[in-house]
Parts: sequence; C-alpha cells; structure tokens
Amino acid sequence: MFTNLNVFQTAHALAVHAGQRQAIVAQNMANADTPGFKARDIAPFGEIMSVGDTGSGMRASRAHHLNGATGGGLMWETTTPNAATDPNGNSVSVEKEMLKGVEIKRQHDMALAVYKSSLNILRASLGRA
Amino acid sequence: MSEFSKSLAVSSSALAAQATRLRHVSENISHADTPGYRRKTVSFEAVRDVSGTTEQVSVGRVQLDKSDLTRMYDPSHPLADETGHYDGSNVDLMIEIADARESQRSYEANLKMFDQARQMSASLLELLRK
Repeated sequence: MFTNLNVFQTAHALAVHAGQRQAIVAQNMANADTPGFKARDIAPFGEIMSVGDTGSGMRASRAHHLNGATGGGLMWETTTPNAATDPNGNSVSVEKEMLKGVEIKRQHDMALAVYKSSLNILRASLGRA
Repeated sequence: MSEFSKSLAVSSSALAAQATRLRHVSENISHADTPGYRRKTVSFEAVRDVSGTTEQVSVGRVQLDKSDLTRMYDPSHPLADETGHYDGSNVDLMIEIADARESQRSYEANLKMFDQARQMSASLLELLRK
C-alpha cells in the first residue's frame, strides 16, 4: 500500500528535473562569453509529464544507457533552441538564463515542499507527528 | 557526480575565468601609459570535464593585440625619435572599461547561479532533518 506512492514519485521527478535544468542553465551562464557556444535547454516538466512514457523525449531505462540517466530512470533530451546569436556565434542571453534560474528555484522548492508535507502526512498517520 | 556538484563546478570554473579576464584588463589599464606596451587579450573556451557531460570554461592562451601602437608627439621624451614621436601603448581605455563591465556582469550572474545551486542542495539536505 505504501510502497509506490504517486505523490512522492512526481515530487521526486520534479526535483530531479529542476536539478538537471539547473546544471544546464549554470553551463549556459558559465559559457555566456565563450565564442561559438550555443545555449541549451530541456523541455519544461509539464510537457514531459503530459507526454507520458511514449513521448518523443529520450528515456533511459537502464543505468548504463548513454548519457547515464540519474534520477528514477528519467532522462531528458537537451535541445538547442534557435535564438539570436552574437557576432561571435554565442547564443546565450544572460537575462533569459537568470529568469530560468528563478523558475528552477521555485520548481525545486515546490517539489521539496510537496515531498515534505506528504512525508508529514504519512508520519501523522503513523501517530508520530 | 550529482547535478548540483556539476553545476557548482561549472559555475566556479566560470568565476575563475572571469577573474582571470578581469586581471588582464586591469593589467592593460595600469599599462595604458607604458611606452611600447601591447594590450593582452584572453579567449574563453568550452572544455569538457572528465565525465564528458558538462562544458566548463577555461581561459585560453594570452595573446597580444597586434594592432599599431599609438604615435605620441613629445620631443622632450627620452624615447622620442628625430621627428619627436615615440611609440605609446595600444590600450584603449574605453574598450578596457567596457570589457571590465562585461566581465563584472558575467561574474555576478555566475555567482548567483552558484549561490542558487548551493541553496537548492541545502534545502534538499534540510529534508533529512526532522
């Protein structure tokens, strides 16, 4: 009964998504002045969840799949959106990345809050609140 | 390596790269009046780390700006030739200041990303506390 709780799975996937996106945004930001660097991104969490298992996004079902999936067998495809490039071939916009950063932080906070409150509910049901 | 340590590593490599760039800019500015000084430029390169998944920033070789030195007219200068000119530096203060500003802006942005990754992992660990 308590082995496979959907709330925890979703919260976990949301947190993992936030973590992966954070790594990608940090990479974009770090290379904001590198000539020829193209900004990358992964699809928003909502899109991935609505697509489900048969979606076009890459899913690694085994641990040793290419680009090693971490986080519950979920793996998100990185895309390179077409954006205006600087004369030196760099397509990173610091402002956009900043905005994404805030979005990620909120998403991660939300995931942890949901996880924590569900945990509290479980605890309360055990009489240990 | 977890995503958080990846993003911390990437951000800190960028911080180091921007700091190096700022150091070269301040070198250039301090030598703006040195006769015969050529301004130094650095280039950034994306370098894959050992795990091959993240692209960190590294500073490439320092290069000298090959543009012409400015000819200064001062017949009383010890280095002046028979026409009364001597070679100044090719540092343009306007360019250096603009470069320093860009570097500062990128540094702040990366610092913010670093702090955010730190906060996120801290709040994740907070879950373990009861």
